[in-house]
Amino acid sequence: MAGKQILGDDPFGTGANPNEAPPPAPPASLRKEEPENAGATAAEPAAEIPPARKARGAGAPRPKPTPEIATPTEYGPSIDHPPAAQHTGLVDEVKQLERSVRDRILPAHAGEHSGERQRMPLEMVWKRWRALAMRDRSDVVDEFGRDPQVASRIEPLLEFLYKSYFRVSARGMGHIPDDGRALIVANHSGTLPYDGAMIMHAVKHEHSAARDVRPLVEDFVFHFPYLGTLMNRIGGVRACPENAERLLEQDQLVAVFPEGIKGIGKLYRERYQLQRFGRGGFIKLALKCDAPIIPTAVVGAEEIHPMLTKITWLAKSVGIPYLPITPTFPALGPIGLLPLPTKWFIAFGEPLYYNAEYGAEGAGDRILVNKLAEQVRNRIQSMIDDLLRTRKSVLFG
Amino acid sequence: MHYLTAHMSAPKKKAARAPKKKALVPRPAFDPEQRVVAITGAYSFIGAELIKRLERDRRFYKVLAVDVRKPTFPMNKTQFHKVDLTLPTADAELAAIWRREGVDTVVHAAYLSSPTHATSWAHELESIGTMHVLNACAECQVRKLVVWSQTVVYGAHPLNPNFLVEEHELRGDKSKSRFVRDKVEAERQVRRFRHENPDSIVTVLRTAATLGPTIRNFATRFFSRAMAPTLMGYDPLMQFVHERDVVDAFVLAVTGDHPGDFNIVGDGVLPYSTILAMMGKLPLPMPHFLAFPLSQALWATQVFDSPPNFLDFLRFLCVADGDKARRVMGFQPRYDVKAIIEDFLGLPAKVESASGLDAAEVVEGGV
Repeated sequence: MAGKQILGDDPFGTGANPNEAPPPAPPASLRKEEPENAGATAAEPAAEIPPARKARGAGAPRPKPTPEIATPTEYGPSIDHPPAAQHTGLVDEVKQLERSVRDRILPAHAGEHSGERQRMPLEMVWKRWRALAMRDRSDVVDEFGRDPQVASRIEPLLEFLYKSYFRVSARGMGHIPDDGRALIVANHSGTLPYDGAMIMHAVKHEHSAARDVRPLVEDFVFHFPYLGTLMNRIGGVRACPENAERLLEQDQLVAVFPEGIKGIGKLYRERYQLQRFGRGGFIKLALKCDAPIIPTAVVGAEEIHPMLTKITWLAKSVGIPYLPITPTFPALGPIGLLPLPTKWFIAFGEPLYYNAEYGAEGAGDRILVNKLAEQVRNRIQSMIDDLLRTRKSVLFG
Repeated sequence: MHYLTAHMSAPKKKAARAPKKKALVPRPAFDPEQRVVAITGAYSFIGAELIKRLERDRRFYKVLAVDVRKPTFPMNKTQFHKVDLTLPTADAELAAIWRREGVDTVVHAAYLSSPTHATSWAHELESIGTMHVLNACAECQVRKLVVWSQTVVYGAHPLNPNFLVEEHELRGDKSKSRFVRDKVEAERQVRRFRHENPDSIVTVLRTAATLGPTIRNFATRFFSRAMAPTLMGYDPLMQFVHERDVVDAFVLAVTGDHPGDFNIVGDGVLPYSTILAMMGKLPLPMPHFLAFPLSQALWATQVFDSPPNFLDFLRFLCVADGDKARRVMGFQPRYDVKAIIEDFLGLPAKVESASGLDAAEVVEGGV
């Protein structure tokens, strides 16, 4: 009889709290029959468990709906609710009524079985929707968020940019090791991070070991709506020492652009003049993780968006660091965002083994770190100058 | 009669009454085979599941369940003590009980698993309640303290690295959410306690958003709805942990001695949009500059149960690194993110069979 009472009072099987049943007997006697009640309610949900859940393999032993071991319905988010004060009589009854009404309205309580129960009639629709939503994404991504399916979907676009649009010519590919960690350090330019994507594509398709490059993306791009997400799905990682270290510890190939945001925002007249290399974080990283530095020069990228000037006061209010003014951009609207089809050269230089020379403890020597950063910067600057000297035309190489 | 056999054979009522006679007996020396564990928040998921596991474990002599509501499953060696941690004298009450029973391990799990509109009550329970528990622990010189925390204490911040280690700064206290701030406050108190009581073993377990077929919390409620809000252009990586793995971690922390903070997380991450797709939810895209005021209004009018700054978790990363728990505690989650979602949906999930920790082994360990 006790079980029936509870069922009538509590059709969702939410609370097995015997105090919620209308108290025909004094509370003391109710508390006495508690174990019985618990057993009765415990048996209830067993019938309601859908076959899918019932048929789960033996590999995942689950609390069985026996009176000894509690079932889902026996405990709820108790401490989620302020404890009811010790009232008696009418106040208590009103409180209980209030709670039972709330239990039916709030999904937290009504939803004990809603997971499948309420979805059952629309199961087919739900399954179709899931299949549709999962169509062009994979259900396993790597720990930094690279989604192989999204990456392969973007591949044709990158291929087009690489082969036909920028006609990239990559040299010095032999300087990139076939396995093991390395740090590609390159100049940065071009308002949007095309250079990172092109370096990734070059190493993936022209290197003998077809390695994946993980470019470190500065915060501004990484948290830019859509763009940052896309960069993340195809392999970009937010630039911070912890992430870079983790990648290098996994023997991955990491690309860094130490010029950072200053490099992206270079004006046309400042093209190919390397900016300050941050605070030398990449040197610390190379020393600490024993990774060779591969100085890399990208030529052609600095002319794709010939920025004449930039407006900062307006842009700050929108949340971007500056608003670029190019011959085409605000004038032609969105078409102005198309990059110029310049001819690109990417040159990978000889690896620099600083760790062998200075050891991991060199990372603590700030003067040394700055000196080495300046050395790498000069190296890349001279590689750029070499490429510029042999280049005859911006558009045709 | 040997008191253990007396306890085992006596019916429940007598067992509960028996220790009261030895109220004035001084606390016995620590015996690894005769341990007494006190659990606050015994009615909550973690408390209840932990009690069930300790009930089956013969290394533990007695379990003291502390909560305002009595757990509803039958208990043999568990004594229930009704103590309201929000009351001003809760610490003295706890200390009296624990000293009398000779508690050597305290598991403090009396925290909220979802935000509530009763913010001042929540503050009393989480922050002041922790203070009471810590006072009582210091008073009784408890050998070990295990505290439940959540990875939300790190806060979703644009400057977070992809994997937050335990030593990372807790940015959650900068958030406007009382829910997160109270948890950070509690953690700071625990840190101070650890500093002041170097002899105690203090373990903090920070669990990620916990999903599973039986647990009910903010995350399960959020993912039970047919629709879920998304912020246009943002798609952060997320991680979960399975309810069974959480209980495993607590059992590990109670049975072994592992001082320090540990992230208890499942393997693998997935983008938020992929999680919604796998669960078959309808995404509700909103620009973030509209979503924040809207959610603020819905929270203020109590239509929604998530404070507005929870949208940060849909915008920025808050993923913790579970490596330390694996290395130091030997905690090996059985469910990876995909299996957790499948199990939550009620689909047959593929579970790691070759896991470092076998529940049966831990429960029956060496007995």
